[in-house]
Amino acid sequence: MTSDMNYEAIHLMRKQEIHKQTTSEHLNQWHDELMKRVVHLAIEKVEAEQGRIPAPFAFFVMGSAGRREQSIWSDQDHGIVFDGKKEHKRYFLRLGKEIVTGLELTGYQRCDGKVMASESMWTQTLASWSEQVIGWLEQASWQSLRHFSTFFDSRVLIGQKNLLAKVKVTTFCYLENHRQLYNRFIDNFDFIRKGTNIFGKLLTEQSGPMSGRVPIKTTTILPYVNAMRLLALHHQESRASTLQRMQELKTKYTFLQEYEAIYHQLMEFRFVHTKAAENYDAVHYIPLHQLSKDDKKELKQFMKSGSELFQLAKEAIETECSKW
Amino acid sequence: METVLMDNVWVIIGTFLVLLMLGGFILLEAGSTRMKNAGHIAGKTIFTAGIGSLVFWAVGYGFIYGDGNWFIGLSNFFYGDTSFSEEGLSPAVDFMFQMMFALIALTIAFGGFAERAKLSAYVVFAVLFSAIVYPVVAHWIWGGGWLADHGKQDFAGSTVVHLTGAMAALAATIILKPRIGKYNKNGSTNNLAGHNQVYTALAVLLLWVGWFGFNGASTFGVSEAFFGYVILNTQLAAAAGALAAMFTVWAITGKADVPTTLNGALAGLVAITASCGFVEPWAAVVIGAIGGIIVYGSMRFFDRARIDDPIFALSVHGTVGVWGTISTGFFATESLSIGADWGLPGLFYGGGLEQLMVQILGVVASGAYAFIASFIILKVMDKVMGGLRVTEEEEIIGLDLSEHGSYGYPENISPLNEQQAK
Repeated sequence: MTSDMNYEAIHLMRKQEIHKQTTSEHLNQWHDELMKRVVHLAIEKVEAEQGRIPAPFAFFVMGSAGRREQSIWSDQDHGIVFDGKKEHKRYFLRLGKEIVTGLELTGYQRCDGKVMASESMWTQTLASWSEQVIGWLEQASWQSLRHFSTFFDSRVLIGQKNLLAKVKVTTFCYLENHRQLYNRFIDNFDFIRKGTNIFGKLLTEQSGPMSGRVPIKTTTILPYVNAMRLLALHHQESRASTLQRMQELKTKYTFLQEYEAIYHQLMEFRFVHTKAAENYDAVHYIPLHQLSKDDKKELKQFMKSGSELFQLAKEAIETECSKW
Repeated sequence: METVLMDNVWVIIGTFLVLLMLGGFILLEAGSTRMKNAGHIAGKTIFTAGIGSLVFWAVGYGFIYGDGNWFIGLSNFFYGDTSFSEEGLSPAVDFMFQMMFALIALTIAFGGFAERAKLSAYVVFAVLFSAIVYPVVAHWIWGGGWLADHGKQDFAGSTVVHLTGAMAALAATIILKPRIGKYNKNGSTNNLAGHNQVYTALAVLLLWVGWFGFNGASTFGVSEAFFGYVILNTQLAAAAGALAAMFTVWAITGKADVPTTLNGALAGLVAITASCGFVEPWAAVVIGAIGGIIVYGSMRFFDRARIDDPIFALSVHGTVGVWGTISTGFFATESLSIGADWGLPGLFYGGGLEQLMVQILGVVASGAYAFIASFIILKVMDKVMGGLRVTEEEEIIGLDLSEHGSYGYPENISPLNEQQAK
């Protein structure tokens, strides 16, 4: 009861403060702080119920939270890795369940795909996590590589950072010996939804509650995200943020300097135009009528640059793979 | 004598082909709507064809072709002529061919009822449409009525069959209002997608073949094998319509939408129906292609106007029916109009605006009559029958169960069946 009240207090704080965030960067720092408070509360509650946390652990976020690209609204994508015995899993699943409840009560909707620490797949021991990730890569199916991509865009929010780092290192070692997988990643990531028609007009959703809106996530943002994930995997860069990946890799790929600035502008553009979104679904779209002529031009340029960046990343990986 | 027999054989083959088009409509409507209504929508096409046939026999044919006045025919009711003429068609063959057109118009009209009308509404409207709406327009243009006197060109029924059916569908869809879930509070539209695109594609193919009878047998004979020319034009227009619609939707939305492509083929067929015996093949391509383009625009227009048209009857048969009728005013050639003693050449063949104006007059008058008559009939039915629409609960569980007590796809309610078996 006390815990719920605290969640409510955090929810109230969220409502009061969320619209005070002035940039995408500030918004994401603020989301981090908010989510940390919720997780700490959840830990307190579970420890009060079931005793102290039985093993070292890391609670990590994935998806847009992992990449520091959350909007006003966000869903939950997270997991737990712990360095303990298998018997401890029940405890951490209970913790995961409490975190899910807490985040939901504070305005983060549950993940439709159940990528949440309350699910057995996303809360594992260190050894099981490594086995699971290698299993995904061995299987290399469309679905297993989607799971892997989700996992790879992860960062620790609370707990021991080295635990997640160890799983990622295991991944890199596996990829060192299975370089043919890069072609599978390219296939898996290489779907860019068209943003404009042959007349150069922005394409909007034709039906449903989002009709008349431009799907900015799928047409514009994902090509940058996928391109940088591809390069990050190739260069064993474990940071999850697309911008940080660009900063780290721009010495290797000089073209990234240009795209770093563009992506930063894109994040701010998205932030400004989705500030008034009424729910989580709506943050992935921008109403066409809301865009001025210059905005439309800018958005089309973002789309074009995203496609170019993905193409450049793909060619770079293919060229480097061909030398092996 | 042999030619006369061949004329009769050809037109009765055309009759069979047009009747088979009802099979096309069954697949088209079932495929374009949701699974829970599939059995209902297929079954109602059969029983309304039964009603339409009996009404046409009793009064429909007489109102169209009987001796009467400029407005309506008034003889030949309860038709039964066993005679055989050594010239022209046997009366019974002609009667059967004409009946098929009435059934097609009726089926098109029921496009506006889809997924929400009571079964009893189908029954009553089938009687009244077949007796009062369709025969009047058919009399005006084909039965020696006032539009025939003006030389209105409608070779196989863009106006008489397609526009008349579509106007009744428009009246129905306005009165019935949109299906539950079609529109959101913020004004946006939901795509209540049909449950089987394969059915819809097969439907288009079946209709396409049937159209060879619809247009081809409208030559009413085999003389000079003119039916071949008519069928050539029909084929070209359908092909151009499909391609034009697919390209249009792809160019505008970035996706080559399948239902739009299929509607494009039907649009090409509807558009060429009026003009197939009056125009040159290149013009058939243009007429079909324009039909394919405007069908997409029309689908979007009705969607945005919050007029729920599940089968796209208003766009395919209505909007394109108008275009098809008007098209002869542009493209009719001298030899196929004056030469055939049917109206004048179109604007592009030196005929000036006269034929175009006649065509427009025909569309406006026929469309207005069909809409107003249907609207009044449906409004009266609405009052007398205590509503035309099923209840919200019935609509949600689907008309298969609510109106017929059985399901088009029984496997989908197997848990319910199992419970009942226990």
